[in-house]
Amino acid sequence: MRLLAPVAIATALVLAGCSTSNLGGSSDAGPSGDSGPIKIGAVLDITGVGASLGVPEQNTLQMLADQLKAEGGINGRDVELIIIDDQSTEDGAAKATAKLIESENVDLIIGASRTGPSLAMRPLAEAAEIPLISVAANAAIVDGAKWVFKTTQNDVTVLESILNDAEKKGYSKLALVRDATGFGEGIADYITELGADRGITLVTTEAFEPSATDFTPQMTNIRSSDADAVIIWGINPAAGLAQKAYVQLGVNKPVYQSHGIANQAFFDAAGPSADGVIAAMGRLLVTEQLDADNPQRPVIEKFQADYTAAFGEAPSTFGGHAFDAWHIAVNALEKVGTDANALRDELEQTEFVGISGVYKMTPDNHSGLTADALILAEATGGSWTLLKD
Amino acid sequence: MTDSTAPTFVGNLTPRKRFWATNRGTVIGCSVLIVVAIIIPFTASASMMNVAVFAMIFALPAIGLSLLMGLAGQVSLGQAAFFGIGAYTHAILLTKFDFSGPVAAIAGVLAAMFVALLVGLPLMRLRGHYLALATLGLGFIVMITAREWDFTGRTTGIFGIGRPVVFGIPIDNNGLFFWFVTPFVVLGLIVALNLTHSRAGRALSAVNDSELAAESLGVSTYALRLKVLVLSAGFAGLGGVFYAYQVAIVSPQIAGFNVSVEFLLMVVIGGLGSVWGALAGAFLIEFLGEGMSELIPALIPGATGEVQLLGYGIVLVLVILLLPGGLVQATSALWRWILAKLPPRAVHTLTGDNTKTAINTVVAALPRVSAPLAPGEPILHISGLTMRYGGVVALNSVDLTVPAGTILGLIGPNGAGKTTCFNIISGALAPTSGTVKFLGRTISGRKPHVAASHGLTRTFQNLQIFSSTDVVGNVYMGRYRQGKAGVLRGMLGLQAHEQRANRDVAHDILQSMNLTDVAHEEAGALPFGRQRMMEVCRALAAEPALLLLDEPMAGLSGAERDVLAELLRRLRDAGLTILLVEHDVAQVMSLADHVAVLDDGVLIAHGEPQNVRNDPAVIAAYLGTDVDEADAELTELEGH
Amino acid sequence: MVVDFLQLTVAGLSQGSVYALLAVGLIAVYTVRHIVNIAQGEFAMLAGIGATWLTAAGMPLIVAILVAIFSVILVAIAMERLIIARVKNLTTLFSMIVTLSVSILLQAIMLLVWGPEARGLPRFPGENLLIGGVSIRSQELWMLGALVVVGGGIMLFYEKTRWGKALRACAEQPIAARIVGISPMMASIMAFAIAGFVGAVAGVVSSPIALSLWSGGLLLGLKGFVAAILGGFSSFRAAIVGALLLGVIEAYVAGYVASGLRDGVAFLILILVLTFRTQGLVLKPTAVRV
Repeated sequence: MRLLAPVAIATALVLAGCSTSNLGGSSDAGPSGDSGPIKIGAVLDITGVGASLGVPEQNTLQMLADQLKAEGGINGRDVELIIIDDQSTEDGAAKATAKLIESENVDLIIGASRTGPSLAMRPLAEAAEIPLISVAANAAIVDGAKWVFKTTQNDVTVLESILNDAEKKGYSKLALVRDATGFGEGIADYITELGADRGITLVTTEAFEPSATDFTPQMTNIRSSDADAVIIWGINPAAGLAQKAYVQLGVNKPVYQSHGIANQAFFDAAGPSADGVIAAMGRLLVTEQLDADNPQRPVIEKFQADYTAAFGEAPSTFGGHAFDAWHIAVNALEKVGTDANALRDELEQTEFVGISGVYKMTPDNHSGLTADALILAEATGGSWTLLKD
Repeated sequence: MTDSTAPTFVGNLTPRKRFWATNRGTVIGCSVLIVVAIIIPFTASASMMNVAVFAMIFALPAIGLSLLMGLAGQVSLGQAAFFGIGAYTHAILLTKFDFSGPVAAIAGVLAAMFVALLVGLPLMRLRGHYLALATLGLGFIVMITAREWDFTGRTTGIFGIGRPVVFGIPIDNNGLFFWFVTPFVVLGLIVALNLTHSRAGRALSAVNDSELAAESLGVSTYALRLKVLVLSAGFAGLGGVFYAYQVAIVSPQIAGFNVSVEFLLMVVIGGLGSVWGALAGAFLIEFLGEGMSELIPALIPGATGEVQLLGYGIVLVLVILLLPGGLVQATSALWRWILAKLPPRAVHTLTGDNTKTAINTVVAALPRVSAPLAPGEPILHISGLTMRYGGVVALNSVDLTVPAGTILGLIGPNGAGKTTCFNIISGALAPTSGTVKFLGRTISGRKPHVAASHGLTRTFQNLQIFSSTDVVGNVYMGRYRQGKAGVLRGMLGLQAHEQRANRDVAHDILQSMNLTDVAHEEAGALPFGRQRMMEVCRALAAEPALLLLDEPMAGLSGAERDVLAELLRRLRDAGLTILLVEHDVAQVMSLADHVAVLDDGVLIAHGEPQNVRNDPAVIAAYLGTDVDEADAELTELEGH
Repeated sequence: MVVDFLQLTVAGLSQGSVYALLAVGLIAVYTVRHIVNIAQGEFAMLAGIGATWLTAAGMPLIVAILVAIFSVILVAIAMERLIIARVKNLTTLFSMIVTLSVSILLQAIMLLVWGPEARGLPRFPGENLLIGGVSIRSQELWMLGALVVVGGGIMLFYEKTRWGKALRACAEQPIAARIVGISPMMASIMAFAIAGFVGAVAGVVSSPIALSLWSGGLLLGLKGFVAAILGGFSSFRAAIVGALLLGVIEAYVAGYVASGLRDGVAFLILILVLTFRTQGLVLKPTAVRV
């Protein structure tokens, strides 16, 4: 019965389709108007290669949302947090963003955890004219954007920090082993650019997939290069495993890592091979070694206490990035409400003492952090020792 | 051949009524679909719309895959490769080269089809597991290439694809996008359904039943399958174009294995080989996936990630074990159950004695044959034919010429090489050396359909019937080489006239063979003797010039053998050349004009039946005695 | 230069031995049932993840490994009895879909039970070596050793023992085998048990280096296929050689060309072999009907 299948399908489709009507008209500014709950959406890498970033971010946002709820919301209005897992993929992030914008009518979006997915979200936010606060590293995410902001320190700034140290130590040749995704793309160019002013050249570049577990080819090439020092640029677990391979294959050169490894997972993956690594990062992991009058210290310590109480383990810097994004967003919402344009203008004047640094944003600078946000720390025996403040 | 491909008998209806009768299912189905599609955006919730849009987008590659798997019988684990190629091409042309939407889209589809052609040329020769794994590999290669190439944006891919603008209206919400995709899906359905019912579609169906038989009727399996592969890639590429628009970013995972698996799931769950099933499967899988993402974290706290895999895995296992025909099987079972509950309609009893198993002894009108040469002129020329399997010589330099309009019997003890010889002539086997020339053309070493297209058909020792269609469907398939409509005309549905004419001929042949009473029975349900006759009918439907019969008498009763022999004589008189392999020596001697004897791969005798019968070498071969001894015995016998 | 080459070769050989073990498992099933077991890689991952979970819970390493291997054998047999044996019409298409669905099911279970993070077993006992500048991890020696012992053992089983020959007979002529007294059911169970065993060993021995992840089985299984195809899906020897070759070529491509292209090597070889020489590395091909 050729007729049968189409009739059955049609019936099923109609049944499936029956519910509240919504043709999905294009979203206008301020979908929640002046009353009703404020909706904040979050797109995070909870599963997949970015999980070591996304999970603490999710925990942090959840915790802060609960705290806010207990305090009565923003100006008496409830704040609803909607988190979607982009599964660490670019199109997962795009789909999630589209869903948040069109179905959930959020007022603001936080995300994504990594550069690639964030770049995918950017055009959607720009087109829909909804503020987006990314927690990823690449400066390109906010370059020239009207509606996109970020809280994580820019990769350029991190590199500046590292190269300054390299220059100080007299290294003239560097090698780079980098993550192959958006996080690592462009790093080689930045190093070459920044190195030009410091008498440093980049002699070898190797790449690895974030899901890689074997680094023998890359480390073998690095070992036989004539670099004075090596920069490994990635996130966990790959960066940690790369570190392990680095030591195992006997590459006896000083090594730097990025702020992408700033959590416990690094030590889990690298084990004793981590010793001696110098990384640039925010101040979260070295709080006790900070000066007592450092303005960030109380903020960080409270966050650490809250997070440990809620989740039974110390927070990572990624939780800190999310913390900053949340508070920046909430502060702006408190001040001007949910009108998109007003919100954007307010965000562009953000001044905030956060976990990742002290923010001062401007219409031209949607990142707000300078090299002061970073410190250099050395890994010793499973924890970080502050090198300079 | 599936039930849906068997042509409906429309007889002498007006063109309009004829169109309606053959396309009723398609027209009604598509109309219903269009109506539903118009309504859905108004009634569905926002999250359902989200899913529905993706379902519609994925329906396109699913339909393509359904054609490939159902019609062409090929497993593809790499449909996502073409999906991704379409998406990337479209996205790159839009963002980097500023092409207009329609042009970029067409380029995307063409790119996918082109790659399919390139890849299909070597790969379509493969079968079963090998082809599946090759397509799997293709998917990965596309994904890795996209990931490592700067031109395709490496890991991040191509993003910032603008929303399409149709007649000035920007398609920026799910409802409009749904309306945007649906017409293309409907068109795709129509094309796919037309193809299924077309000459090409029937041919592919026949190949799935018996590739040997189909090839022997002129079906070029390789060429047809390749065309279907290219077409299915086009569907996938079009789906990719829409996907790029919808998600606004194209990244390497689009060609990933899990996407290919999803398409496979849609086709299997919908019902293999059913185009409508693919559409239903697409919707089902998307809704299932969405439902799983909500349900499983609720059931198993802390579950994150691709939890819908659990649902997919369970559903797939259940479908394979309990409902291999998928949704289509379920709905037809449901329909039958409903029908069974309704009050029974008047049952038409078959007039005539349908328990008759013997063949009627009177043969009416003779099927047409072709006689391109005058009787006696050489129509088949075998020279130096040798077949070696390692050290075994199956045929040893056989030379034979068959004159047109005669019956040649090929006999010999078991293992003499008769079937090998046949297989080489018909093209199922390539000889080690030597040639076979048919109507002056060399056909040895070429595939069976080549010889078939020039008028050589055969029947098989082990019956090769098309078991998924009825008797008239089998005979109808014999008309294949008389048809001309290819895949393109098939897709457009432009062959009603040709189909009707062939249909009439098939019925005529059945009538002349007294098989009309079982015309609509399942071919596999017939008793052996009538199946044999059906095979002969099928071969005759091709209007052959040379008919090869491989042990046609085997399994027939005495009376049936006589009828068949009579038929063969009359066909010979009408100009058909017949080459006959038989064990029934008495029949051969009485039937054949010439007899050739093979023993151990060597042609030991060739001539009139009388002479061959008395040839001592022949007797020795059959009886296993020495030639001299046999000669002595023979002289002794003749002396009495 | 030479040191680098040797280093890459060592890495390639150890990785290749994992592929080889998987290929042995694939061929073991194929010779008896003419089924390509797409879930082969999942056997490896399941064993790896299970063993890490057990060691993390306090079990001694060797016990955890044995328990994990044994459990995966049971899973493989369950797969055969509960699912494969029940499929009514086991065509090529259906057999692929069935094993594919089991693969998906296993992946989903691993994801839901153990979560999305990769885990690794602790290193097996042994010292890392540094010979002439070439670093050889002890685990790599374990991997090669596993291939020799387990892979070689299975090979000998199939070729030299009565049981092994009986299994092969079942594949060639199931009815004749039955007449002679070999039960196809037993043969099928044994084949899957062997596949489970070999897969589990591969997973456990590679876990300390390559980590075990719920989704890791796919790529691993696929490379096993490529190796099996290089072995014409019939010859253990050719498959093992093919697997080692594959591992080494991958390492060279990753080291000398681009590390991202590493995974592409396997698939390129796959398509080339299928296009030009379907019997792979097998020198005397038996009639392979493709």
